[in-house]
Amino acid sequence: MKRITKYIGGGAVILALVAAMACGQEEPPAPVAPAQTEPTAAMAEPTQAMEATAAPTADEATSMNNQGESRLDTVRARDKVICASRNDVPGYGFLDDNGNNVGFDIDLCRALAAAVLGDPNKIEIRLITAAERGPTIQSGEVDMLVRTVTWTTSRDAQWGNYAQTMFYDGQGFMVRKDLGVGSALELQGASVCVTLGTTTELNLQDFSNQNGLNLEVLPFEDTPAVVAAYESEQCDAFTNDRSQLAALGTALQNRADHVILPETISEEPLGPVVPHGDDQWFDIVKTVMGILIYAEAYGVTSGSVPTAATGDTKVDRLMGLEGAFGQEPLGLSETVAQDVINAVGNYGEIYARNLGPEGINLPRENGRNALWANAPCQDCPKGGQIYAAPLR
Amino acid sequence: MLNPNTTLPRILTYQGIPVWRHAQIIQWAAQIASAILVVALVMWFFGNMAFAIDDREIPFGFSFLEREYQTPIGEHVLPYESSDSFLYALIVAATNTLVVAVAGVILATLLGIFIGVCRLSPNWIVSKLATAYIEFFRNVPLLVQLFFWFYIILELPTVREGYVLADLLYVNNAGISFPGPVSSGVTPAVVWLVLAVAAVFVGALAHHRLVRREDETGRPSYPLVIGCVTTVGIAAITWLVLSGIFGDAPFSVSTPAPQGRFGRIDGGVTIRAGMLVLLIGLVMYTASFIAEIVRAGIQSVGRGQTEAARALGLSPVNTLRQVTFPQALRVIIPPWISQCLNLTKNSSLGGVVGYTDLTNVAITMTQTAPAINIFLMLMATYLAMSLTWSLIGNLYNRHIRFTG
Repeated sequence: MKRITKYIGGGAVILALVAAMACGQEEPPAPVAPAQTEPTAAMAEPTQAMEATAAPTADEATSMNNQGESRLDTVRARDKVICASRNDVPGYGFLDDNGNNVGFDIDLCRALAAAVLGDPNKIEIRLITAAERGPTIQSGEVDMLVRTVTWTTSRDAQWGNYAQTMFYDGQGFMVRKDLGVGSALELQGASVCVTLGTTTELNLQDFSNQNGLNLEVLPFEDTPAVVAAYESEQCDAFTNDRSQLAALGTALQNRADHVILPETISEEPLGPVVPHGDDQWFDIVKTVMGILIYAEAYGVTSGSVPTAATGDTKVDRLMGLEGAFGQEPLGLSETVAQDVINAVGNYGEIYARNLGPEGINLPRENGRNALWANAPCQDCPKGGQIYAAPLR
Repeated sequence: MLNPNTTLPRILTYQGIPVWRHAQIIQWAAQIASAILVVALVMWFFGNMAFAIDDREIPFGFSFLEREYQTPIGEHVLPYESSDSFLYALIVAATNTLVVAVAGVILATLLGIFIGVCRLSPNWIVSKLATAYIEFFRNVPLLVQLFFWFYIILELPTVREGYVLADLLYVNNAGISFPGPVSSGVTPAVVWLVLAVAAVFVGALAHHRLVRREDETGRPSYPLVIGCVTTVGIAAITWLVLSGIFGDAPFSVSTPAPQGRFGRIDGGVTIRAGMLVLLIGLVMYTASFIAEIVRAGIQSVGRGQTEAARALGLSPVNTLRQVTFPQALRVIIPPWISQCLNLTKNSSLGGVVGYTDLTNVAITMTQTAPAINIFLMLMATYLAMSLTWSLIGNLYNRHIRFTG
């Protein structure tokens, strides 16, 4: 009997802990107040900050942030930008022949490192699964999450701040040609493979319910397992963002045997995410993404970065040769755009290198991912949707 | 000289062993220091968490539990609709984990005992094969083994070209399907199941009583026959009565059959590939540890016991069953419990092979609900499962210990 009471006691302790946590949310936690109200005091006393780094805390980034220091200072002190990304999808984040992690997402991280540290190679890529994205960015252990993350309102509310849509995608299905399926609406009773913890998984349920398809869902934690299961016909169809279907399709044994169905069942705006709680860092990432987009719009490429005034006011302002677009309040150098474009090129170059002809060959012209600025006239809606806040 | 007992408190005139060498004081000091350390550590963890929640505006709260989950759960033993709540989805997921854990523990224990006994076999080939099995499965990481079985199962023919036995058994790379019971309604099914369990208890009680009567009086009482007849009889009568009341039998047999243009198997019971891979992987892996535990347990029983049993004329099998194994159990049970715990916790790897266990559903939930709360619940659930295993194991261990 004694032993049983022991178990009940243990259970009660755990319940009490959980209950205490639940109650704790109403009252502001004690240690927060001083750190938030006196950020300058914390910075003025170097000993305090140094203690924080010396303390055996979980992570450098977290502990320094705990002292109210800005993420920009943390990143500069660390001399490295930490991004959460991937290495398993061609075009976005993949290992090239030399074993380097390259891709669209990786280049966005490099651009950020070039902007804040002046060197695109000062990055550390944390490889995470799709399902790990939320907890990773919530904990603030990385400076930026760029891993084909779809912008949704509940993620924005819970995970971190979405900086800028850098790619417009939509969810599609891939099936074997020999099944003779011409539309996703014909997938009645089919088994569909999907990656766990993605918006794709959520959209799939909506699509199945709306159309009464009674889909059988087969979720896997890793995308390679999804592809393996699909190739072995453990499932009849495989769903993901269309661009990723195209990218992963290049790795299938016989691409010609497979077809991507015409339906796009969702909106998937992809872009980088930063942790909640540091507005300056949020703005820096938005500005860097804007620099990439406007450099393309103004025709500045990595090979043609001007170092002296060109006379074109917009170009000169972007390059830090005349006026400013908010570099100083953000703690960036006047010539930040020169560093960024020299290092990674403009948006168009990044696209071409990874997703375009030199990469997985997704068409861009006249599509959603063309620049809005490329529209033939000021107001006619023929350009793409790639657009950022004006740099001025 | 003054009398110390009257003029000064005793503590000031203490003349015994120096305080820093006093065993009792050192013990107390160590206890207090470690208690403070533990409390400080826990407080630091929670303080850090509370700080991070506030600093990065991480959502926190349990209100999400009543919301609709609206997300698919791959395989589920309990009925599940996407309109069910988060809380119910968690229960469905926990049941998935429980099913694998219970089935896994039973199978791994049976296989482990078999391999462990084989390892002690005087037959050279049998014992070496058992040794090879143990050394292989014990020394390769479980995750690697799971991927191995995953790719093995993928090599089976597809659902449209799979093996079919008499239109009843379907084996393909999507899983194994066979005829199984389906309930015609929840109420009659639950009522009958409860009554059936009661019938088993009544039968067992009758068996127990009759065995004792046979032992005491020597009159033949046929305990096994009467016990079985009682159980089956009660179950059959309640079945008929319930069929009469509800107009339908509590359960009917459903046979699997391919459906629609994709030929996916519907009806009957299907063990999908993900569960199959996870079960095979967990059972093979854990059995190798249990086999070693069983071997150690049997070898811990004095050699004299075996020799005495053989001298009494017991066959080798009976020696093991009646003499050696019951004594070995005392050594086997405690480490066996930790293997049960390991198997239960290792089932959280299910996601990599396509089985939606508790962990994977919880991870998916973090997309639309507060991660910290979900993980707190996840930890509490695994803790509850583990403590239950420990409780069962310890109660059994107490039951079989030497008394008197």
